[in-house]
Amino acid sequence: MDTLYYLIQNTLPVTIPLLLVALGGMFSERSGIINIALEGIMLFGAFFGCFFVYLVQGTSMNAQTVLLLGMLVAAVAGYVFSQLLSFATVNLNADQTITGTSLNMLVPAVILLFSKMKFNSDGITTDINFYIKEVPGLGSIPVLGKMFFQNTYLTVYIGFLFLIISAIVFYKTKFGLRLRACGEHPHAADSVGINVYHMRHAGVAISGVLAGVGGFFYSVGIMDGNIGGHTGVAGFGFLALAVMIFGQWKPIKILFAALFFAFLRTLAYSVPLIPFLDGLHINQTFYKMLPYIATMVVLAFTSKKSSAPKAEGIPYDMSQR
Amino acid sequence: MEDYIIEMLNITKEFPGIVANDNITLRLKKGEIHALLGENGAGKSTLMSVLFGLYQPEKGEIKKNGKAVKIHNPNDANDLGIGMVHQHFKLVEIFTVLENIILGVEPSKMGFLQKKQAREKILELSEQYGLKVDPDETIENISVGMQQRVEILKMLYRENEILIFDEPTAVLTPQEIEELMEIMRGFAKEGKSILFISHKLNEIMAVADRCTVLRKGKCIGTVEIKDTTKEELSKMMVGRDVSFSVNKKAHQLGKVVLSVRNMTVPSKLSKKNAVKNVSFDVRAGEIVCIAGIDGNGQSEFVSALTGLEKLSGGKISLCGKDISKASIRTRSKAGMSHIPEDRHKYGLVLDYTLEQNLVLQRYWQPEFQLHGFIKNREVRSYAEKLIQGYDVRSGEGPVTNVRSMSGGNQQKAIIARENDKNHELLVAVQPTRGLDIGAIEYIHKQLVAGRDAGKAILLVSFELDEVMDVSDRILVMYEGEIVGELEPKSVSVQELGLYMSGAKRDKAKEIENAG
Amino acid sequence: MQVKNKIAKLTKSKGYSSFTAALLAIFIGLIIGYIIMLIASPANSLSGIAMVLVGGASRLGDVFYFATPILMTGLAVGFAFKMGMFNIGASGQYTMGMFFALYAGFMWDLPAGIHWIVCVLAGMIGGLLWGLIPGILKAILNVNEVITSIMFNYIGMYLVDMLIQGNATMYISSKTRTDYLPSTAQITSLGVQNSNVNLSIFIAVAFAIILFIVLNKTTFGYELKATGFNKNASTYAGMNGKRNIILTMAIAGAMAGLGGAFAILAPSTIPGSSMTYEPINVIAANGFNGIAVALLANSNPLGIIFSSIFVSYIQRGGTLASLFGYKPEIIDIVIAVIIYFSAFALFMKTVVAEVLKRRKTEKASTGINSDQPLSATEKEDV
Repeated sequence: MDTLYYLIQNTLPVTIPLLLVALGGMFSERSGIINIALEGIMLFGAFFGCFFVYLVQGTSMNAQTVLLLGMLVAAVAGYVFSQLLSFATVNLNADQTITGTSLNMLVPAVILLFSKMKFNSDGITTDINFYIKEVPGLGSIPVLGKMFFQNTYLTVYIGFLFLIISAIVFYKTKFGLRLRACGEHPHAADSVGINVYHMRHAGVAISGVLAGVGGFFYSVGIMDGNIGGHTGVAGFGFLALAVMIFGQWKPIKILFAALFFAFLRTLAYSVPLIPFLDGLHINQTFYKMLPYIATMVVLAFTSKKSSAPKAEGIPYDMSQR
Repeated sequence: MEDYIIEMLNITKEFPGIVANDNITLRLKKGEIHALLGENGAGKSTLMSVLFGLYQPEKGEIKKNGKAVKIHNPNDANDLGIGMVHQHFKLVEIFTVLENIILGVEPSKMGFLQKKQAREKILELSEQYGLKVDPDETIENISVGMQQRVEILKMLYRENEILIFDEPTAVLTPQEIEELMEIMRGFAKEGKSILFISHKLNEIMAVADRCTVLRKGKCIGTVEIKDTTKEELSKMMVGRDVSFSVNKKAHQLGKVVLSVRNMTVPSKLSKKNAVKNVSFDVRAGEIVCIAGIDGNGQSEFVSALTGLEKLSGGKISLCGKDISKASIRTRSKAGMSHIPEDRHKYGLVLDYTLEQNLVLQRYWQPEFQLHGFIKNREVRSYAEKLIQGYDVRSGEGPVTNVRSMSGGNQQKAIIARENDKNHELLVAVQPTRGLDIGAIEYIHKQLVAGRDAGKAILLVSFELDEVMDVSDRILVMYEGEIVGELEPKSVSVQELGLYMSGAKRDKAKEIENAG
Repeated sequence: MQVKNKIAKLTKSKGYSSFTAALLAIFIGLIIGYIIMLIASPANSLSGIAMVLVGGASRLGDVFYFATPILMTGLAVGFAFKMGMFNIGASGQYTMGMFFALYAGFMWDLPAGIHWIVCVLAGMIGGLLWGLIPGILKAILNVNEVITSIMFNYIGMYLVDMLIQGNATMYISSKTRTDYLPSTAQITSLGVQNSNVNLSIFIAVAFAIILFIVLNKTTFGYELKATGFNKNASTYAGMNGKRNIILTMAIAGAMAGLGGAFAILAPSTIPGSSMTYEPINVIAANGFNGIAVALLANSNPLGIIFSSIFVSYIQRGGTLASLFGYKPEIIDIVIAVIIYFSAFALFMKTVVAEVLKRRKTEKASTGINSDQPLSATEKEDV
């Protein structure tokens, strides 16, 4: 039973970055823009968030307050960086994949440059402890308390809050309806007076914010508040895309897909603790590869009849009315 | 002063190289159902797109209730109370009926959708006008008829008073057509004004009050339906142009080259079949033309015939060989040549040179390659031969980039390529579209020459002149069926028009189609 | 007069507009590099950027040495581009090729003249396999090749690192690196002073020429380019789309695999020893640099020879600029910026081409025999 608690406690902080970034990707693709640059935006947001933490770690601010403020910094950073993508793709109709790839290459180089110059290292290390041993009150609930309110991070709760907000905006607001229309049938949206360009800018901007926050939460929850230019976010940005596809571009399904992948990854790092698996003596790397292999398998089965937003990746051309 | 709610005065709309609307005047009375009739290329859709704000006219003005107005985009049109049901529905498939109707004018409180409010209004409208819809079904799950009702409800929800319908019956079953006509009559009685584009004479006679006929961008006239007949409308529609007669000697019929039996092809747009149980033969030495108005199954038929699409039933034989399931390359090897409808999309690789395009169908043959290496000299001399023989004009000869060539010469290149293939059957779809008189004449000469040389030619054309002048036998396709087999020498253009618009069909054909 | 006409013709050609677009992207990239240098350390910025521009000249041997792997990955990306596919999996194919080469080098005992050739071939096969699988998935199951390739980058990286760490012959755990390859497996050095440049540059150039010939002189290349230009027309012409996708990805993978093999089989600075690999779960950067190389050359194999040399050149300059305190990452930034601007240099190129064409059609339409070109708008039911 202890193993189960352990697994759940460790899966949740890993789920959150995947969840948030996949939601960001969802908003972008549902508006019609494929955002391959999520990996880069994550790293960018993580970097600025961690830098903020570094700057204030000497002061006596409460750790969770630092986290919240760092999150805001990361959000803004992610938003700003995503503008590079939205300008090129929405205004100039540039190829979305090439632009995204260039941005992914840009970020690690920038971070390494800055870290080497400023810290003489490959990244930023911080020494604030964000770990929450036990949430006062909720942590003492039998069973559920141990599962969800002990040995965790604030990021988990914020992440779920973001999920709820996203789902509501997506399905229940005017904005959400119009955004989704632009990714499916931009001409229909245009014909009823919706500005497709504005909507797509918004979609990319939201993905920038969520990816920035997701990156920072990755560093908090998985890297102990540190971020490096060489390892970056270990492909989480791309995994998030897979989560998004696996989740069929819908918020709740994305949650389950994120849980699934996070669980596999957690399992990979927890093998020594699980006597059954440990006994199998399978090389740890196999477990590390599992999420990626699982993605391939899922894609192989779902690509024939995918519910991808119909108009994604196709630059919107008003002259083709 | 008659009460015209909309006046389109002296509208001229041009596109590069073509005058789509030439000084057209159309007046719509309040509470009338006004039809807009014409063949393909007549300018009907363009004119309505101008009214709906999708295009801006070069000349002319629009008035509403006597006051001049400017319509820059669909929003302006909507503000003036103008709504349009497009030929290709502008509906988001994964949204529900309700969501599609409110999109763009959503009732909301602080950003949150107030669907209940909308639902009440929609159900009310649905009751009032007899437009049965289920607000919570998604578009992809409802019938085409219901989809159209959603488009109509979009207009009513926005309180549009002037309703434009673009070819509304194209995708409807006969029963749904009846329902639609009832709905339109209901609108008119209420005082709404309706403009509808159609090429179907029966329907126009049944439901319209007046009809404006367009031909080749010009307005031929406006008539009261009660004072006219189908024949007269047909005559106005197809006109008495100076037809370009092709000198043809009597043809010698040879063996059956193409045999089509009970061919059925599904439609991508609706649950009906695009091609229904079509059967006919084409013999060596004859030009058979499938005539009809675009959108009656011809494209799907050709796609299935040439292998671009799969057929769902029936058999195709070429010179005795069954090619119903064969690949495109196999059909080409078996003797089929194809001049496609869209030369830019299918017929040419625009970024290739002229000579590269001229060997598009033959580059794999031993004359042009050895062990996978292209024999450049042979390609060049072949290209030069075709360029000479077919008078294909280009900037730099065989190395010209095809994108820079004129449409006429691009088409000549395709014809040269397809004609010179040692084929048995040539399928030519709209081979002279968008070309000038000289090129048209040339291409017709080529077609006749091929037929005289013993080839079988299947021509698909929407130009009545071409149909009458070039073909030896005419098969009229209407709503996916062959409704008539006619001899150009013994049928008049007017009668042809009647077949094409579904107003007349051969009894014999009906029995054949059912069997 | 003739010269003027020739220049006019040259400037209107497609090659010219791609070339200027590339130049523009490079120019902007270098300007941004200079700005970064200004911010980092203003005093040395001019010397810094000057070093980037001319530093490579003093290290020509190395320029060619480092150009070799990215020439191959450039071919890997460019060849697939010609068919309309984005081979972002070049890194994984590169790594897989490197591993196969290592395996053949360590685990097989072969005589001197043959061993390294076998290793190179092994590398090619490794890369080929890693490109083949995404190709098959795309052709048959329509799985998007971008995501597949990215996944395969990671799977390849983990797999290779795991296999190396588990192989006692290959791996020296105390150094966390692979051992030096037996000398029979190494590619012969060209003996240029202070440089490891070796035979592989010639082999790489040879492959570039081979791919150029394939693309422009064979029926396969004809089909490939036609599919990349107009998929519909290629279907109409009876071309076998599925087979071509698979073949193209296999060839592209093979090229990247060769890149990995060349990199690891090269002699190193320590005399008599080869390069070593550190399995630290990092995705091969050379795979991504290949994208820049391909885009700059507009995917033309011969052009890729030059763009790879150019990228290597500024990379050498960048390393030398570290003498002035500038980190080599500046060049990585420059390269990323170049790719970013190349993405809409394509757009700028089409805009320029459109404007030129419109002027030409206007001139033509005033002539006597004026045809009516089919424009997109005419396609609608008028």
